[in-house]
Amino acid sequence: MSQIRTKLFGKWRVASRRESHAIWYVFLLPTLLGILLFTVYPLIESLRLSFTRGANERFVGTQNYADVLASETFWYAVYNTVYITVFQLLIAIPIGFLIACLINSLRRSSNLFKVLFYIPNATSMVAAATVFLAILHPDGPLNYVAQLLGFEKVVWLSQPTSAKWGAIILSVWHWLGFVIIINLANLQAIPIEYYEASAIDGATPFQQWWRITVPNMVGSLTILFVLGWIGGLQRFTDAYMLGGLQGSPARSLHTVVGFIFERGFGGNEYGIASAAAYILFVFILIFTYINTKLLRMKI
Amino acid sequence: MIKVNSKFVVITLLLLFALTLSACGGTSTDNAGANTSETTTEAQTETTDSAEAAGPELSGKLKVQLIGDFSLEDKTDALTGQTSKGVKVLKDEFERLYPNTEVEFVLMGWDNYNEKTQTMLQSGAADVYQLPGIATFAEQGLLEPLQPYIERDSFDLDIYLNGQVDGWRAMGPNDQEPEIYSLPFIGDARLIVYDKQLFDDWGVEYLSEEPTIEEIIEKASKMTGTNPKTGEKNYGLTFNGNDAADSIMNINESKGGQWGTGFLWKDMKLEFDSPTMIEAAELLKEATQYAPEGVLVNQGAENFLQDNNNVAINLRVAPGFVNSLETFGTQDRYQAALLFKHPEKGMGGMFAGSPFAIGANSQNKDLAWEWLKFSGSEFFQEYMWNEQRSHSMPVIKAAAEWESVKEVPQMDIILKQMSQLWAPRYPYRAGQPRYILSENVERILLGELSAADAMKKAQEEATKWLEGQQ
Repeated sequence: MSQIRTKLFGKWRVASRRESHAIWYVFLLPTLLGILLFTVYPLIESLRLSFTRGANERFVGTQNYADVLASETFWYAVYNTVYITVFQLLIAIPIGFLIACLINSLRRSSNLFKVLFYIPNATSMVAAATVFLAILHPDGPLNYVAQLLGFEKVVWLSQPTSAKWGAIILSVWHWLGFVIIINLANLQAIPIEYYEASAIDGATPFQQWWRITVPNMVGSLTILFVLGWIGGLQRFTDAYMLGGLQGSPARSLHTVVGFIFERGFGGNEYGIASAAAYILFVFILIFTYINTKLLRMKI
Repeated sequence: MIKVNSKFVVITLLLLFALTLSACGGTSTDNAGANTSETTTEAQTETTDSAEAAGPELSGKLKVQLIGDFSLEDKTDALTGQTSKGVKVLKDEFERLYPNTEVEFVLMGWDNYNEKTQTMLQSGAADVYQLPGIATFAEQGLLEPLQPYIERDSFDLDIYLNGQVDGWRAMGPNDQEPEIYSLPFIGDARLIVYDKQLFDDWGVEYLSEEPTIEEIIEKASKMTGTNPKTGEKNYGLTFNGNDAADSIMNINESKGGQWGTGFLWKDMKLEFDSPTMIEAAELLKEATQYAPEGVLVNQGAENFLQDNNNVAINLRVAPGFVNSLETFGTQDRYQAALLFKHPEKGMGGMFAGSPFAIGANSQNKDLAWEWLKFSGSEFFQEYMWNEQRSHSMPVIKAAAEWESVKEVPQMDIILKQMSQLWAPRYPYRAGQPRYILSENVERILLGELSAADAMKKAQEEATKWLEGQQ
């Protein structure tokens, strides 16, 4: 048989599946090339740039890193980023979990609610933020509702603290659908037998939720926390749309990526911007490591 | 299954990698070289042909880069429904004037235009560039100095509005003073615009043609509150919150101050904490009490220029407002006034617009120079005014005599304003000092810092940044 195949394919020898591996690298080549050119090369180039300054790319050693770490604006951007992200996670994850539980308990119309809640997440952040500029307007619908409830009118985007809360409201609204979908997937994976057995033992619905549902949701809540944290540290579009290049007012919406963007594209300081990008990378690495350890997540 | 010799595969892969990478790395240069030589050869051939027919004329392909809302073919504006002619009109006219030439446009958007232009200049992707951020490129030696061409042709720079050429001066790597590296073709400015109807409602005299900040504050204070005729809430003034620092700088100029001195970062001396700057900041802070609550983030004056407007004066409006007035049919309701100017220097306000420059590695510099001269012609400027008005104002003096310009009541003020902008334009705006000043101005307007403290902080931070650029 082997001789026949050798005859058929000339110098190519036909081998068993186990013996042939190398040929598949040819199929990987386009992807590998793409990664090399569009990911690895920019990463290396950015690292090189982070040690240079000016249009003539003068080598300055680690001066850019030192300047970024000594910049008050950078640390204020870190504070803003963490502030918005922490409150986004603290609000969106519990609310998303509760809504997912409610949708999961529905006998009918659950698909309708899944779609309704997921629509914001499928919406472009630029479009959503544009709508929120109107919602957060001093004479906008949010203030209208607030005043109906007896609260005072808030000029959301004109004051540093309320501007941050405007960004938090936008990010929660945009991300909630994703939280709900992930939670729903996990909720539907919990075996029904757990609930049946507990019902026989006389557990109330709340006891079932607290003793069965919540412990089985730790995995999805953890992944949401980690993903939300990474995405939050990379926050840019929503803050940029609401606060502009500088994160107005008074840099209250200036995020770490906004800092990188302003220095890179606003002032052609690619060395500083690259150094800040690598510092952000290290931040994300550290926070993710801490998160996975604290939450005992298996990756 | 086909069994392949692993050594053969590895070698093939390495060869493919090397081939692809070398192709990627070398394409631009090789192709640029090939294209260049091709163009040159073509140009030479055409020159030879045309020389026999029409004398020693210029020939070859000219690549012109344009940024913004340009299109080659005609297009219809979604808001007004008006059709405007594409830049093909310019191409046709230039090719008619220079029969053996071919114009090719490289049209691109404003997104990351500086980075794209940098790449194009380095790779020689065009001959002529629209360069609103000219200083950065001139400093790198990427642009052709124009003084030799101007002298050779005795080109009359007096055709341009006052200050329009000087506004774009920049410094090359070996220059001691700002030199001419470009010629203007898109004019821009900021103006004070006011709603005459609100002035009438409140019985307040209209703004003078050259108002002072004190006059504006006084009149704005009279028009803040419930409109005596309509009963609506009115605000005396508004301004562009994102550019509040530019408004303060302009007020500073009217008090005899200036942004600073120098041009390149290494020579620059800022005057952010001068007494006139502090006074200007205090005046804008005072004016803010007559503005809508959301003025810092440009909220509350969305209806300005429309019929249902409730803000009397806008301190900072781009000249494109004449298009909005036409669209809303409110040309007779609004009037413009000049920005503040320095009492001695006679100029004031941020210089803006776009010039054309020639790339240092252009292969057809003489033809590129002809394009620059063409861009200052009445044909070119009238085309821009008639067809690209949404993002362009004329930069030549002759425009004042055009009937279509005279028909627009606010145009005489706009042209005057464009003739007295601060030149050369504020170089500190090309880097961090701009953002540092802006941040601290916002802190003043928010009441977080006093004018003196904020300006002192801005001066210290910006000076420290400048020291880092040495």
